[in-house]
Amino acid sequence: MSVRMDGRQKRITDAGLTLWFGLAILFLFAPLAISMIYSFNLGVVGKQTSNFTGWTLEWYPAAWNDLALRRSVQTSLYVAFWAALIALGMGASLGYALVRHPSPSVRKWLSGLTYILLIVPEVVIGVSLLLFYAVTGIPLGAATLIAGITPAAIAVTALIVRARALTLDPKLEEAAADLGSTRLKTLWFIVLPQLLPAILAGGLMSYAFCFDNLVVAAFLTTPTVNTLPVYLYGSLQYGPAPSVYAAATVVFLFTVTLLGLAALCFQLSRRSGRAGVGGG
Amino acid sequence: MISASQHSQPISKRAPPARVSDQLFAAIPTAWLAIFFLAPLAFTVVYSFGNSLFGAVELGFTLKNYQTALSGFYLSTFLRTVQFAITASALCLAVAFPVAYFIARKAGRFRTLALVLILIPYFSSFLVRVMSWQILLARGGVFEGVLNFLHLHDGPLDLLDTKTAVFIGMVYAYLPIAIVPLFVVLDRMPPALLEASRDLGASRFQTFWAVTLPMARPGIATAVLLTAVPMLGEMVIPKLLGGSRGVLMGQAISSQYLQSQNYALGSAMAVLVLIAVAVVVAALARLTKGFAEVAA
Repeated sequence: MSVRMDGRQKRITDAGLTLWFGLAILFLFAPLAISMIYSFNLGVVGKQTSNFTGWTLEWYPAAWNDLALRRSVQTSLYVAFWAALIALGMGASLGYALVRHPSPSVRKWLSGLTYILLIVPEVVIGVSLLLFYAVTGIPLGAATLIAGITPAAIAVTALIVRARALTLDPKLEEAAADLGSTRLKTLWFIVLPQLLPAILAGGLMSYAFCFDNLVVAAFLTTPTVNTLPVYLYGSLQYGPAPSVYAAATVVFLFTVTLLGLAALCFQLSRRSGRAGVGGG
Repeated sequence: MISASQHSQPISKRAPPARVSDQLFAAIPTAWLAIFFLAPLAFTVVYSFGNSLFGAVELGFTLKNYQTALSGFYLSTFLRTVQFAITASALCLAVAFPVAYFIARKAGRFRTLALVLILIPYFSSFLVRVMSWQILLARGGVFEGVLNFLHLHDGPLDLLDTKTAVFIGMVYAYLPIAIVPLFVVLDRMPPALLEASRDLGASRFQTFWAVTLPMARPGIATAVLLTAVPMLGEMVIPKLLGGSRGVLMGQAISSQYLQSQNYALGSAMAVLVLIAVAVVVAALARLTKGFAEVAA
């Protein structure tokens, strides 16, 4: 500790920082809270209003009974699931190659590619994909949308896996090889278990990310493939119903529960992993 | 079982299969991304030089689209977008830095909780949150009420469909993304370094200015990159909070594709956005010169 520490000045700075943090949390949570509160808003003739006109529970069953809304949630779940699965596989593979590919120039190219995936604005990707599918004559559908939203998710997963792969001890893999394990076996029994939490975390991030994708999906949507964000975006023209807020609230609670469970699993697996290492 | 004398051999013997798997790990994602990312971008670049017919493009080489995209309404939209992205990104950084500093240095055992809190809103629908800002910023809404209560403003406040509303929305949407890299870099900074600075006679402010801030440069660069770049293409926030007056590049490009069906002009505008992104990246690379292992 420094002797010169000016106690009073420090207290003022600390109080200021704490206040700033509190305000930031308030700022970040205000719209979330509003979206939840307004899912109970009566509204005016079935439309959401900025004035709170009274409490009602009717929008939750209304959201459930709204066929178009329900189908868009189903489409979103389906699209996000497959896109996350692809991003999980591709991202894990790319993340590991970023660290372990024997050629430095390949590693450099791969990391350049990974960062480019993150810095091309979504609207540019969206229009490019629309153009690409139109010119090559690939009909738009769920598959084209799934493929189109994977690149950024792959990059995020790859970076998470890369961070974990950097901490892997190469000696462990060499030891396995020395003991007669094939490369495939080493990857499966030595590398994969160590990377698994990172891979799953990347997959979950991708899932949340793809579920909420609006911009790319807006360009690749078709009358039959309409995700929830695209459906909501379309409904803005006529003024959205509060049932939209109800659906969003349910989806959010579902996502947070899922993530909470995943964090719990992650924590447990890490603890048991550590115990295993300590015991062996 | 393998004897000790073979110890040096297995690695060289197994080198070929190892290389195959290593190549596959690199090749499979590259192939996927080449098809669904690089090829579409290449199409956009090629089409930006083509002649536009309604709903179709005749391939060729003309700079006409770029001429159009860099004149009149389109030029002012482009410049406004760049200006918005830079300003909003700077605002975002200014709000994020103290938050990241607090979490890294002051939050103590609550830091994980603090980080989780920052990230939670991120998992709810982005669109619905922006729609909620419409409610918050509406005339007679919560925001106006709070300002009136604090005597920072008097009477009704028309924020919706203004620049200010777009800035609030942009800072809001990208704040968590800015906080995380700043937190990482502040967290890694060795406390001994700061103590040394203090012991050598620097004031708190001097330490912050001469040690903390320069050391945080990679985090600052990453935060700017992750906020300014998507802001250059942002199309939802300006549309919902900015109304019809302040059209930005994202909407302008989108309407060339979806309404005007002028793919060539839309492509040229998309390429301009990519060039702006490249300039941002190059500037940030200069800012972080001397740091190894930096994003971008």
